[in-house]
Amino acid sequence: MAIQEEIIAKVQEIPPLSTSALELVTIMGKADHDLQHTVHIVECDAGLTAKVLRAVNSAAFAIMEPTTSIAHAVSYLGEKMILGIALEACTGSILRRPLKGYAGKSNALWEHNLRTAMAAKEVAKLAEEDISLDIAFTGGILHDIGKAVLSEFLNGYAEDMISKIDAGEAADYIAAEHEMLGMDHSTVGYEVAHLWNLTFPLPEIIRFHHTPGKAKESVRALVYAVHLGDIMAMMGGSGTGSDDMQYRLDAGFSDYIQITQSDFEKIMLDVEVEFRKTKSSIFKRGESE
Amino acid sequence: MTMRVMTLGVGDLGAAKDPGIVIRTHALGSCVAVLLLDPKTRSVGMVHIALPESKINNVKAREKPGYFADTGVPALIKEMSRIGCHGNGKGMIVKLVGGAKIMDPNNTFNIGKRNVLAIKKILWSLKMGVVAEDVGGSISRTVTLGADKGRVVISSSGRNDWSV
Repeated sequence: MAIQEEIIAKVQEIPPLSTSALELVTIMGKADHDLQHTVHIVECDAGLTAKVLRAVNSAAFAIMEPTTSIAHAVSYLGEKMILGIALEACTGSILRRPLKGYAGKSNALWEHNLRTAMAAKEVAKLAEEDISLDIAFTGGILHDIGKAVLSEFLNGYAEDMISKIDAGEAADYIAAEHEMLGMDHSTVGYEVAHLWNLTFPLPEIIRFHHTPGKAKESVRALVYAVHLGDIMAMMGGSGTGSDDMQYRLDAGFSDYIQITQSDFEKIMLDVEVEFRKTKSSIFKRGESE
Repeated sequence: MTMRVMTLGVGDLGAAKDPGIVIRTHALGSCVAVLLLDPKTRSVGMVHIALPESKINNVKAREKPGYFADTGVPALIKEMSRIGCHGNGKGMIVKLVGGAKIMDPNNTFNIGKRNVLAIKKILWSLKMGVVAEDVGGSISRTVTLGADKGRVVISSSGRNDWSV
């Protein structure tokens, strides 16, 4: 079997998203969705209910009195946090294991995706056109899902990949992945997106987050928001391993996102604070070490 | 001797003279670690700096001065003096690690370079200078500083360790 066929076969082994997570992803992409719908989704999922209550009652959020109300928890934490918890609950097993093919540690992929999501949401506020902050966040949470599959096929090749880039034989890590395997983590992530029945534009964001200029024009601003969020996450120290910083900035962002140096730094600072708070509330003590 | 590790996060700083301690900070992307070594007291210190100027958020700078170059470097020197070093940094060896950038020929959003320049500017104002550095490029670094011999070890995923 050709290596690409093996990779596609491995994609099929990815566990499905839970019904709750898929519902949350779907409704958060709709501008007119009702918060009560989110509350209902959580209330109908016992496992998700427990995780949401644990998060809201954690020291990170320091609410006055412990709560058992999901409506209160959703209102306090915000829907993006709820989505983060839901996705972590059903994808945590694959997103939290070490990315051996990237010489990456446990939880690196989950933390990188979460930080990218937070940054993408903030960058999206600076878009020339009105774009969905929720979809920017969701796209960020899912953008690197392909690495969870590709890691196995890159195991033992991290040094070779880096050598290729250092020698100028590959322009960046995406090019090195493609040269090694005939696929890269963005194309593999696109396959995972379809397996999970994710609706447009999420597969587009995942597919083109390193080459946003190639995304469909109708959603290119969104893809650029995730692209910049991804870069901010790496610069801030939340990368996934040997590929950290080894990607190119697509200069076309300036046609879609009006962001200055000062904006960039302020977002990095705000995201750092929010990320540390969220990380400590989602992960149990010791899990993030 | 079993070494104890003092791990610093973003914006954290620390100093030590106990030879059984190593100070370490991880995942320096565009962030820069400033390392101070005082041969006279055999003390070492480190701060993990994220951004060049505190004026973007003075509240954050008061909460965590190590986050910014202009508040972090003086804060580290103050911490070093707390454990017995000269109060104005006199005689200290300064090394810098980090300040990487994403691949971009236009150097857009090159926070790493801005951090390095801001650190050097504040050091210059304190009559201090950098004697060694491993900065720039497009790699994320982890740096470890040993209090026993002042050895600086840099690591990065997929690469062999090196020193500066």
